[in-house]
Amino acid sequence: MYGDLGIKLVQHAKRTQNLAHLPPYQAELVRAVTREVRDLNKDVDDLLEPFQGSFDPAEDQAVAYTLLVNHISMRRNKRCLLAYHRTRTDKLEELVWNGADVIDLSGQQVRDGGASGSKGVASGDGSTSSLSPQEEDYVRQYGDLLAAYKGQWTDIDLTGSLEPPRDLFIDVRVLKDAGEIQTEYGAITLTKNSQFYVRQGDVERLIAQGYLQKLS
Amino acid sequence: MSYYDVDAILTDGEKVPCRFELDVPYLGHLDNSNGLKPGTRLNLPLWLAEMFALASAGEDSKPPLTLTLPPCLSEQVLAALKADPRAVPLRDQSAYFYGVAVRMLDLFDERELSAILRTTFVVRAADVGLHARKAEESGLGGQGEEFLRGLDEWERRLFRRGHEGVKWAKEWTDNVKKS
Repeated sequence: MYGDLGIKLVQHAKRTQNLAHLPPYQAELVRAVTREVRDLNKDVDDLLEPFQGSFDPAEDQAVAYTLLVNHISMRRNKRCLLAYHRTRTDKLEELVWNGADVIDLSGQQVRDGGASGSKGVASGDGSTSSLSPQEEDYVRQYGDLLAAYKGQWTDIDLTGSLEPPRDLFIDVRVLKDAGEIQTEYGAITLTKNSQFYVRQGDVERLIAQGYLQKLS
Repeated sequence: MSYYDVDAILTDGEKVPCRFELDVPYLGHLDNSNGLKPGTRLNLPLWLAEMFALASAGEDSKPPLTLTLPPCLSEQVLAALKADPRAVPLRDQSAYFYGVAVRMLDLFDERELSAILRTTFVVRAADVGLHARKAEESGLGGQGEEFLRGLDEWERRLFRRGHEGVKWAKEWTDNVKKS
């Protein structure tokens, strides 16, 4: 039945809404739904062909209703496709605002796959990203857009934490090598397993990205 | 209800029984036959059935399809709801019970149906709120479990909101006490 694949896609979207991370892109399903639309469109063309543009719905109702069914099915599939992608881009925008990287996102999938057993490995075959190439592009460009927007206000970090800090300086431990960072008090080289007493504002993003761990 | 609303799309995917009034040889795939004959009964998803019931090709021609109320709004279910709304697991009827009902009320003029549904929602909402508030203390399970399992998608959202509200209020008061 036409539209059944669309439903599946939307059910995926529904599940995505309740998840913290982004599940893999359903490339196969999306392709199947677009193929269905193409088939429907071909049916419409074939049906209309003998009329040579002079089709009167009142005269041939059977054809008219068949066209209607095909048309509504196409519209339905379009809505399912759009809703699926919209759900994902909403999620991606949220992740960008929270300071996630595209590279980070793919990395997260690897970790998730490792944690949940062989599932990630089986479906991964080489590519580890759960985003489609278009989505990766979207995230990159949206990130650029956000950076440009944030750039207008240099004295305030729009994606900073909304929690007022209790202390200006905090102890952090370095979980991953993050290279050298510049602070008001000079440069610090963050090497794995070292510990620093730094200004919270300087390292907030690194904590959010999982390079540093805050010690209370 | 937005175009992109996932729940709205899934509600539209619920099937309703209809009867075909016309002879359409090309649409056999809808019921796996060689062509639809007048009087064929079949279950179509709402998104298709609704447009079809409202369509008519000529000025005096009747619509190609007549809709009937889906089984989840049948006499038996309504009678059970009239007797005690809390005893009916709506989810077993349809996961989008209220959504489907609202869409059907757009198409049918059924005063009594809407009155029953309104009472049902109000009575059940009170219980949903109660469970949402107490979910913390009793944990999941217990006597409420059976009722909560039968919530439809609207009520589930209500439950989640109620539960989050209680949780956040508690977190907030804890924070105030600390600082």
